[in-house]
Amino acid sequence: MDLLEYQMKEWFHQIGIPVLPSQRIDHPTDLKQLKISYPIVLKSQVSRTDREKVGGVKIVETTIDAIAAAQNMFNLPIWGELPEVLLAESKYNSQAELYLAVVLDTALCRPVLLGGKEPNNYDDSKRENMSYVVVEKEFSPFYARRLGWKMGLKGTLMQSIGDIVEKMYHLFIQKDLDFVEINPLAIHNSGQVMALNGRVRINERAINRHPEIANLAHKVANRDYKNQINTTFDNWDSLDMLGKIGILGYGTGSLLATLDLIVDFGGTPGVCLNLRHSLATDIHPSSFCERLERGLHILTTQKNMQVILINFVGSVPQIGQIPEAIAKFIQFQRSESNKGSKTKHDTCFPRLIVRLLGAEFNIAKKYLATIKAPNEALTLVDDLDEAVAETVRLAKLPILKK
Amino acid sequence: MNLTPDSNVLIQGLSEFISATHVAQMKGYGTNLVAVVHPGWVGQQMYDLPVFDLVEEVVTKFDRVETTLISVHPDQVLDAALEAIAANIRQMIIISAGVPPLDMVRLFREAENREVLIVGPNSSGIIIPGKMLLGTQPQEFYTPGNVGIVSRSSTLTYEVAWELTKAGLGQSISVGIGSDAVAGSSFIQWLQILDEDEGTAAIVLVGQPGGESEEAAAQYIAEAIDKPVVAYITGKYASASKSVDGMGNFSTIVGRAANFGTAQRKLAAFHAAGVPVAERPSQIPELLKKIIH
Repeated sequence: MDLLEYQMKEWFHQIGIPVLPSQRIDHPTDLKQLKISYPIVLKSQVSRTDREKVGGVKIVETTIDAIAAAQNMFNLPIWGELPEVLLAESKYNSQAELYLAVVLDTALCRPVLLGGKEPNNYDDSKRENMSYVVVEKEFSPFYARRLGWKMGLKGTLMQSIGDIVEKMYHLFIQKDLDFVEINPLAIHNSGQVMALNGRVRINERAINRHPEIANLAHKVANRDYKNQINTTFDNWDSLDMLGKIGILGYGTGSLLATLDLIVDFGGTPGVCLNLRHSLATDIHPSSFCERLERGLHILTTQKNMQVILINFVGSVPQIGQIPEAIAKFIQFQRSESNKGSKTKHDTCFPRLIVRLLGAEFNIAKKYLATIKAPNEALTLVDDLDEAVAETVRLAKLPILKK
Repeated sequence: MNLTPDSNVLIQGLSEFISATHVAQMKGYGTNLVAVVHPGWVGQQMYDLPVFDLVEEVVTKFDRVETTLISVHPDQVLDAALEAIAANIRQMIIISAGVPPLDMVRLFREAENREVLIVGPNSSGIIIPGKMLLGTQPQEFYTPGNVGIVSRSSTLTYEVAWELTKAGLGQSISVGIGSDAVAGSSFIQWLQILDEDEGTAAIVLVGQPGGESEEAAAQYIAEAIDKPVVAYITGKYASASKSVDGMGNFSTIVGRAANFGTAQRKLAAFHAAGVPVAERPSQIPELLKKIIH
């Protein structure tokens, strides 16, 4: 989860990284009580950082201009996202700008300190200009000074940059971050440094052990949840590929293997869901069977979905409830088609292929074999390659009309 | 790693990650499970095993406790592992999934200083078919033989084992090293173990998108492994997604290739190393039979 700019700057301020005087604006009229002096910069608080060219940043000189600009910005979506908050910040003239970051390098399994002598615009060709220091052992401030030295900084500037990097590192560890970056860090001729902008990404797995972060995360998740109930899989471990075949799997490797097979056999995969875990960020923790039922529902509501392949290997939790979940789904489809809805006659009911490997599934398989499902609405297959071949064949048949 | 069946094994934590079925299966396999550590539950019996508050109590009561299976809540993995290290346990399999990566970084620093072998997190453990089981791998897909399997997946590993078993190719050792970006023992460590293992004649490596441990493994195979290896990498048709993006997402910053972490990059590495690559699980036995002499 990425913090918004004003949240990030609150954190920076708390840990002692210098930021400009600023004020959070929840409504345009808040600008009448502005405590910072003009000129100010108004910034739309959205998740994308490249907001400047699309009207997400405005410099204003007077209260009247500021209120007008704010009214505008509250109604201007940035890359599809409407801000709930603006940030009013003092304007700053910097003489030089640097880039600083602390990231967890997953290949090295160590945090890495990064620094560049210009702001990072994520241009591939400028990557070589970046200096880095791997924090091999327990952190000590010399790692931060070493970064400054590698960046070619000297004397007091090296020390003040080292000091900022040290604070960034502590923030990184304290809050369980994936990364924290300051981009740019402004340097004034007087030697003063100022974090003008940046990014902070919190590791999803650690959100719940920081109460204040969990609060933020739940607010965001609740908003998303209200907006897209039932048809969303944003919070899922999923792939969205637009094809006619949906996959429900258990375990990432197994799900990906099934997807690859579908393509190799000439099929087109659509939404693929991994039912293994409910994610740490999911505010509505779910049982396996709930995920199975919801997964089936999500796939059915996808456009063009023609076949759903369920592939479970070894064992799953609540194994005894699988047949009921599937029977319920078949039953639901049948009752819906008996209603003969005319408005949606161009959409179809997906057929179901179920492949369960392992002795623990034996009872479930026996039960599923007794379900009467006409038009090949439910097929049980043991072998993976055969299950995929059958799935691809069914996806090419005429659809089952609703 | 000491994988002899006569050493004693401990379970830390009773959670969703390890079930009664898993414990029963390990016992049935002859694994010497001696105790469970679950603070606050001392004196009780769980899965027919005595429960203790501390690892220290277990190591004073039982000799040769050499391995611990950690299945505590993901937030408590670091503490449980540090406790085991403090009690001189040198081998651990972390079964718990969802461990915060910075906790693992701290653990690795400690483990390196004390020469501790960590398998996982999010690992299904190790099985030596017919002899020993440490973890949650289902024995039913395995049969004793001479093919070693090292994999980042869990359920896909069982699929691969089942394909080998169906084709009459038994297995010597199968290890799930865990699919987390920040993982303990690596492909390379296990390739080395399997290369030295007398019971192993050929090796199957199962990889998936994320990180670059497969690429490192491909290079290592070309340079140092004498036994035949077949690789199988999933995700070649998966569009980049958040499940893939969860790893190595600093590629743009740290100066890595734009295709970092993709199956394509991994497949290219194995092709370049001259390692045969299976297109699907059912093709693995075919390729193995061609190269086992």
